[in-house]
Amino acid sequence: MKALTANRLTDGEVVFWKQGQWLDRFADAELFDDEAVAEAAEAHAKTQVTLLVEPYLIDVAEVEGGVAPVSYRERLRALGPTNKPEHGKQAQGGAQIEILAHAHGAASSKGRIDLIKRK
Amino acid sequence: MYRYDDIDQAMLTDRAAEFREQCRRRLAGEITEDQFKPIRLMNGLYLQLHAYMLRIAIPYGALNSAKLRKLAWVASTYDRGYGHFTTRTNLQLHWIKLKDAPDILDALAGVGLHAIQTSGNCIRNLTADPHAGATADEADDPRVWAEAIRQWSTFHPEFSFLPRKFKIAVTGATRDRAAIRIYDIGLRLHRAADGELAFEVLAGGGLGRIPFLGPTIRERLPARHLLSYLQAILRVYNRLGRRDNIWKARIKVLVATLGAEEFARQVDEEWEASDKAAVDLPDTELARIRAGFAPVGFETLPPVSAAFETAKLDDRAFARFARHNITAHKQPGYALIDVSLKAIGETPGDCSAEQMEVIANLAERYSLDEARVTYEQNLILPHVKLDDAPAVYRLLADADLATPNIGLISDIIACPGLDYCALANARAIPIAQDIARRFESPELAEKIGELKIKISGCINACGHHHVGHIGILGVDKKGEEFYQLTLGGSGEDDASIGQSLGPALPAERVAPAIDQLVEVYLRERTTGERFIDTYRRAGLAPFKEAVYAEAH
Ligand code: SF4
Repeated sequence: MKALTANRLTDGEVVFWKQGQWLDRFADAELFDDEAVAEAAEAHAKTQVTLLVEPYLIDVAEVEGGVAPVSYRERLRALGPTNKPEHGKQAQGGAQIEILAHAHGAASSKGRIDLIKRK
Repeated sequence: MYRYDDIDQAMLTDRAAEFREQCRRRLAGEITEDQFKPIRLMNGLYLQLHAYMLRIAIPYGALNSAKLRKLAWVASTYDRGYGHFTTRTNLQLHWIKLKDAPDILDALAGVGLHAIQTSGNCIRNLTADPHAGATADEADDPRVWAEAIRQWSTFHPEFSFLPRKFKIAVTGATRDRAAIRIYDIGLRLHRAADGELAFEVLAGGGLGRIPFLGPTIRERLPARHLLSYLQAILRVYNRLGRRDNIWKARIKVLVATLGAEEFARQVDEEWEASDKAAVDLPDTELARIRAGFAPVGFETLPPVSAAFETAKLDDRAFARFARHNITAHKQPGYALIDVSLKAIGETPGDCSAEQMEVIANLAERYSLDEARVTYEQNLILPHVKLDDAPAVYRLLADADLATPNIGLISDIIACPGLDYCALANARAIPIAQDIARRFESPELAEKIGELKIKISGCINACGHHHVGHIGILGVDKKGEEFYQLTLGGSGEDDASIGQSLGPALPAERVAPAIDQLVEVYLRERTTGERFIDTYRRAGLAPFKEAVYAEAH
């Protein structure tokens, strides 16, 4: 699954594509199952030069309670900085924000963690 | 404090006006992002994860009350009411809107502030010893020379398109408080046996993917030849520095490839062939700049202050603050006061607009209208009367600016990391917060003594992790945040690059690992040894053993 994101030109705000509109919340993002449709949307976004900076597709996956971006970096963009919960989109709170905040990385590094035991 | 003259002031006003027009054209779609990006970067405006970030230059870390108040005003008017001081002594505002940027640059220009030289492959904003002009171990005031370099290097056409960014640090003191070995050029002023004022010149230091400590390429450069010699270094670098590979483009790679001796030889050759007089600062100009830094307003005072001594006896918290945050001044009866931007659990280097106002007021009333930014992300009130120190302490404490932890375990350097920075692999700030909370007790921190922890969110090393007594580097392992620890680094007099402790740790294991490292240190140390001394004597093994099940 994919979603389309960018930063808004005038203020840098993280935005997500939904059927031709650009919205602030990841919860409102259109989810693409079809790669070709996603790429067509991205190609269109790249022409919206007075609206956006650097539109790109991100991987999205199902998590407990809903969907969330796969990479930690993208979840952080959809939430805001963790050192200041009062800043960024997370400040609004709500169930959708909770889902993102509690999502974990799709990749597991468990093997690594087990290596590191205290004597 | 040096004040910009009419030429500088006109330049800033012009620059702000030019940027306003460029922003207008970008917003109107007359220029593309590809065309605009280098322009906005040259004006310090980056696009990060959540918004634009404006990096404001604070040349050699020097501030006064007017500048601090303007920064506070910009932070509360156009941002979220705070700013972040960086290891290059710049101030970053993390929530800027492009449409506001021209107004902000106008406002800053009004007090001689700007965002020039905070991005791009040019000579970046200079850093200098934050104790400049206040320390007794100084051969000359490094700000005089840093300001000369600033004037010479700003918009220098020949050096506007170097292979890569270029950072210079200057000190005039015996003790290195400017980390001169980790920059492209490090300069140390000293007085030779015959009395001549000279620079020791280091070149080719730098952190990042391949860390190097800068070797000395000239022990004794007569100070008056500084600019012509810098020109020679930059010319050699401009000519031979690699432009094909961004990871090998810094001068450190060139110096390491040629060898310090050969590099120095080529610089000398270039220097001897150049018209030095055309570049070197005329004595009259040097005198003009120097006058801008002349000490004004010091009173003749006895070296010992009864008020200060009594306050230490009466108030243990103040006595602790005095032990860690107050340093001797060259002027009898005065002291330097460190303002800690490392309150426990807060973001290292962050300063709210209200706090900036407090510091501005204190600087104006008690510190001859000066404040300094340190590369360790703290501020300094450089000229406080000992008599006034208890009052300054109380006002700082009221604003949560008096954490008595300078140089201690909770005085952590942390870059913005993945919470803000588009280049990051992992977060740095929450790791710093975790560690600081764990060592919150001032008694414990004091018992541990000097311990410098430095955290970077990626290999670019803005958090100086290579030169932390304990360095922490964020890495991305399959989309998750992991942290690589290094031990034994130092950025100052006993400079060294840290050695890797072992496999990277997950975020939640980092603060406990610091605990384990500290336990080993407290167990192994002999009298008077700092953490780094014990590490240097005992080696990596006992530390490694404590953190990992297997020592191999
Ligand atoms: S070290 Fe990396 S993550 Fe940290 S501020 Fe520098 S570029 Fe960003």
